[in-house]
Amino acid sequence: MWLDEESPRRSHPLYATLEFVGALGVLLVASLRGVLGGRIEGRETVHQMAFIGAASAPIVALTSAFTGAVVTLYSASLLVDAGGSGFVGGALALAMTRELAPILTGIMVTARCGSAIAAQLGTMKITEQIDALRALAVSPVQYLVIPRVLAALIMFPMLGMIANFAGLVGGFVIANAFGIGANSFLQSIRLLTEPFDVIGGLIKTLVFALIITLVSAQQGLSTRGGAAGVGHATTRAVVISMVLIFAANYFLADLLFAER
Amino acid sequence: MSHTAPALETRQLVYAVDGKVILKGIDLRVDYGEVLGIMGASGSGKTTLLKCLCGLLKPTSGEVWVEGVNIAPLSERERMPLRLRLGIVFQYAALFDYLTVYQNVAFGLERHRRLSKAQIREIVRERLAWVGLEGVENLYPSQLSGGMRKRVGLARALAMDPHIVLFDEPSSGLDPVNAYQVDRLITRLNRELNLTAVVVSHDVVSLMRTCSRIVMIDDGQIIAEGTPAAIRASEHPKVQAFLQMASAEAL
Repeated sequence: MWLDEESPRRSHPLYATLEFVGALGVLLVASLRGVLGGRIEGRETVHQMAFIGAASAPIVALTSAFTGAVVTLYSASLLVDAGGSGFVGGALALAMTRELAPILTGIMVTARCGSAIAAQLGTMKITEQIDALRALAVSPVQYLVIPRVLAALIMFPMLGMIANFAGLVGGFVIANAFGIGANSFLQSIRLLTEPFDVIGGLIKTLVFALIITLVSAQQGLSTRGGAAGVGHATTRAVVISMVLIFAANYFLADLLFAER
Repeated sequence: MSHTAPALETRQLVYAVDGKVILKGIDLRVDYGEVLGIMGASGSGKTTLLKCLCGLLKPTSGEVWVEGVNIAPLSERERMPLRLRLGIVFQYAALFDYLTVYQNVAFGLERHRRLSKAQIREIVRERLAWVGLEGVENLYPSQLSGGMRKRVGLARALAMDPHIVLFDEPSSGLDPVNAYQVDRLITRLNRELNLTAVVVSHDVVSLMRTCSRIVMIDDGQIIAEGTPAAIRASEHPKVQAFLQMASAEAL
C-alpha cells in the first residue's frame, strides 16, 4: 500500500488535504480488512489495550468527575431555588451520556494516547524502524496500526462507561451538598434518560476511537525530518483529532439524538 | 535458485521524488559471492539506490531484478516475500527500541518460519555468536554501543538466512577500531558463508578493504566501476577528487 512508500511532498493545501483524506481512507479499509480477516497481532493488541484503556481510565474518571460536579453546581444552584431539584440528576445524566462522557473520553485519550501514537510511529519512521519492519516482510499497518485501532475500539466504550459513572458520582456529591438525596437523584435519572442515551454515547466513542487512532497513525507514518518532524506530527495529530472529534460529535448528535 | 542470473541487477533505473531526479538511469549488476561497494558523496543517491535494490522504494522507471525477478512493477504486498531473500543492515541499525536484542533477532523468525521456541533460541544464539556478541540477549538497544547495535542489526538480517545482504554505511558513526571490526565481519561472512554483499559507503578506506568491486556514483549516475585497484587508478577527475578528499580526511 502506498502509505508504506516514500510519498512525494505535497505543497498545495488542496493536494495535501486530498492526500490526508485518502491516507485515512486507505488506513481505515486496511484496518477493517485486517480485523475482519483475523490478521491480528495479539500481543501488541493486548499491550495497546492496556495503554489506551486501562492506563487512561484514571484520568478519564477524574476529569469526568469534576465535569459532572461543575455541571451540577450550575444546574443545582438554578433548579433548587426554582423548585426543580427533581431534575438535577436527570439533567446531568442526559448531558453526561449524550455529550460529556464521549467528548471527555475523546479529548483525554487524544491528549494522552494520540500524541504518543504519533510520536512513537514518527520516531520509528525517522530512525528507519518502519523500513526495518518492511525489510522483514512485516506490514507496518498490520503490526502497528491495526492493534491500536482494535484496542481503541474495544476500550473506548469501556472508558465511556467509566466517564458516565464518574461524572454521575461527581455530580451526586455536589447535588447532595444542595440537599438532594440519593433517591431523588436516581429517580430523576430514571425519569429523564433512556437506554439509548447511553448506547448513543457509546456509539460516539467508537467513532472517536477510529478518528484518534487513524489520524495519529497516519501523521506518525508520514513524519519527515528529525526530532522537529516528530514534534510537528504529534502536534498535528492532536489538533486534527480534536477538530474532527468536535465536528463528528455535531453530526453524530444530529444523527442519533435530534429526533429524541 | 538459478545462479546463472545475477544476484541483483538494475536496468536504466530512475528514481525521482519531489520533482528531483535522484537516480538517472543506473545499470548495475551484482554477481553471487561478490562484495560490491557503492561509493559516493552524501546526497549522490547511493542510499536511494540501495533502497530501490531491496524494494523499499519503488523506482520511477527502469527495472530492478532480485534473483531473477523484476520487482519494479510489483506492489508492496508482492514485494514483501521477495525481501526475505535479502538482509538489510541499516545505517543506524534501526533496531526496534522497545524490544530486547533477542526479540529483535528473533522478530522475522517468529513471523515467517514455523520453528519451535528452542529452535529460534538456537538460531538467535548462533547468529549473535557469528557477529561476536554473546550474553547480550536480554539487553535493550539503548544499552548497547553503536558498534554493538550495528552487529545486532547484522545478526537480525542474517537470522532469515538471506542470500544477499545490503549494508547502508556500515562504518559510519563508529570509531576506527569498531569500523575495522565491522569490515572484517563482512569479509569473513563473504568468505565463510559465500554471502553476496552490497556495501554503500562514503568511507573509501572501508570499501577498499572489504569490496571485490566498487562503483562510484555521482549525481545519480555511475561514473566509475572496477576493482579497488582500478578505482584507485581511475583518471576520472571526480573519482580522483573524491579519493584525495577521503585520504586527506583519513589523515
